[in-house]
Amino acid sequence: MLKYFRIKQEPEKVVPDLGAISISLLERDATLPFTIRQLNNLPENVKQRMYRGLIPPALLTRFGIDPIQWTNASKEQMVSLKAEENSEKVLLTAQSSPNVSDEFFALELADNSLNGIELNLIVLNDPATPRYSIDQTEDGAPTMFGTLKRNLRAEEAAMQAGLAPGQVRAGLGSSRVVLEQLEAFLSMLGHRAYFLEPLTYASAWVFERRGFAYVRGHKLMDDIHREFQPGGKLYQYLDDRSPFRKRNQASTVRGCAWAIHDGILETLDLRWDNIRMVKQIGRHAGVETFSQGTY
Amino acid sequence: MISTHRMTRAAYLESLEVFRGFIKERCAAVPGVTDEILYDMQLAVDEACTNIISHGYAGMDPGSIILDLNIDSDKITISLTDFGHAFEPSSTPIPDVDAPIEERELGGFGLFFIQQSMDEIDYQVTEDGNKMILTKFLRKLDGG
Amino acid sequence: MKTEVQQENNTTIVKVTGSVDALTAADLSKVLTTQITDGRTNLVVDLTGVEFMSSAGLRTLLGAVKEARSNGGDLRIISTNPGVDKVLKMSGFNNIAKVFPSQAEAVSSFGS
Repeated sequence: MLKYFRIKQEPEKVVPDLGAISISLLERDATLPFTIRQLNNLPENVKQRMYRGLIPPALLTRFGIDPIQWTNASKEQMVSLKAEENSEKVLLTAQSSPNVSDEFFALELADNSLNGIELNLIVLNDPATPRYSIDQTEDGAPTMFGTLKRNLRAEEAAMQAGLAPGQVRAGLGSSRVVLEQLEAFLSMLGHRAYFLEPLTYASAWVFERRGFAYVRGHKLMDDIHREFQPGGKLYQYLDDRSPFRKRNQASTVRGCAWAIHDGILETLDLRWDNIRMVKQIGRHAGVETFSQGTY
Repeated sequence: MISTHRMTRAAYLESLEVFRGFIKERCAAVPGVTDEILYDMQLAVDEACTNIISHGYAGMDPGSIILDLNIDSDKITISLTDFGHAFEPSSTPIPDVDAPIEERELGGFGLFFIQQSMDEIDYQVTEDGNKMILTKFLRKLDGG
Repeated sequence: MKTEVQQENNTTIVKVTGSVDALTAADLSKVLTTQITDGRTNLVVDLTGVEFMSSAGLRTLLGAVKEARSNGGDLRIISTNPGVDKVLKMSGFNNIAKVFPSQAEAVSSFGS
C-alpha cells in the first residue's frame, strides 16, 4: 500500500536543543527523548547502526537485500541513508534494483518545533507492478503527487487500475509492519507519539486503521463521510460528468478520495488541507470515520 | 485492573452524548457503581469534553478526544486525551455558590462540577496529548 | 432534548425531556426567552423528564431566572431526578430559585 504525505517545509525551531548526545547524557536517563538532529550528529557508524532499525528486515530480504550490509547479491548498495550532520531530517530509501524507478521504500522523519517527530514521507511501492506517471505532466513537469499540477490521463488510468490518488504504483501491503517497526524505533529514541499530515482522504483512512487520531480535521472527516452518503451535499456532485465524479465512487474510500482530489470539496467551500494526525506509540485510537468502509 | 475500554470521537458537541452513553454502557453494571456515581462520572466527562470542545480546539477544525476507561474493583479511572491547546485550570475562577443572583456570573461551573464529582483529578500536558485523568472511588458492596 | 409548553392557571409550564447539555442548552434558552418575550413570565420548568443536565443547562436556567424576574415574573423548577437535583444543589441554585418536587406545588407557588 502506497501512502504519500504532503512534504513539509522546514519546521521553525523554537526550543534550543543539544546538538549532540554525550555518553553522560545516555547514562543519566533512559527515558529522555532524542531528536533526529541529535542522532544525525552521532559518528557515521553509530548512525548507520541506529537507522538500520527504521526498516523491517523482512522487507529488505523480500527483495534480496541483506538487512545488515544493505547490499544485494551482487554487492550493490540498495539502501540509501541521508542523515546529514546538524540536519533535523532523515531520509531512508530502498530499491529492488540499481534502477532508481525500482524504489520500493522511502521514509522521511523530521524533528518538529515542539521536540516531537513528524513522519514527512512514507512511500511503499511494489516495483513489480505497472507504473502510472501521475507524478509528471505530459511535458515532464513535476505534479507533486497531483497536488501542484495534474496528469489527467495518467490519473484516470491509475484510478481504473485501483490506485488511490498520489500513488504511482500499487502498494506493498506492508504498511502495518513498516509502521510497527517505526514505533519500535521511536520508542527506542524515547518518543511517545509521532505526527503526520495525510496527503489524501485515502491515506487518512489507512492511518485511522493503523490507529491514528486527529490533531485537526476529525470533524472534517466526519462531515465528508456524512455528505458522501446518498442525499448528501457531496453525493449530489458525483454526477457522472467526469471520470473522477462517478456516482459509484461514493461507496469506496478510494472513490471518495479521487473525487476529493478532483476538487469536490470546493462545492462546500472546503479544502483538503490542515488535516493533522497523531499516533500514540503502542496504542490504537480506534477511529473509524468511514465506518465499515471498503477501501 | 479488571477491564479497560477506549473510545475516540471528534471534538464537537454532538459527541457529548456519545461519551456519556459509553460511560453508562460500560459502568452501569459494575459492582459498586451506584446511580449517583454513574451520574457523577457522566457529568465529569461531559464537562471536561465540553471544555476541550470549546477551548481546546478553538480556532481549528476539531481533532479527536480519546476516552480511556480503566475499571478496577475499587475505583474507576477515566482519561480524556486531546491534542489541542492545553487547558489552564488555574485561570478559571471558582464560582461563588452562595452569592445572590445579581452577583452570579453565568459561567465557570464546568471545572467546579468536575472537582465536585470526582475524587481525584490530574492534568498532564505530554508529548502524546493533553490528558485529564479523573478517578472515582467505588463504594465496596460490603460497606467497607 | 424536547420541550412541551402548556398553561396552567397563570403559569406557563415548560416540560423538558432528554438531556440538557452544551449542545442542547441553547434550544432550551430560546424556548424560555420566547415565553418571556411573549409576556409569559411566570415560568415553571419541569425537569422531571430530564435524564442528564450539565452546567450548560444550569447556565440557561440561571439566565432565564434573571430574565423572568427583570420582566416582573419568576422561574421555578420541578425536579425529581437525583442527578439533576445534585447539579442544582452543587451550584447553589436552590439559594437563588425555588425548586419543587411536583407540578402542583410549583404551580400553586405562583398563587393565582
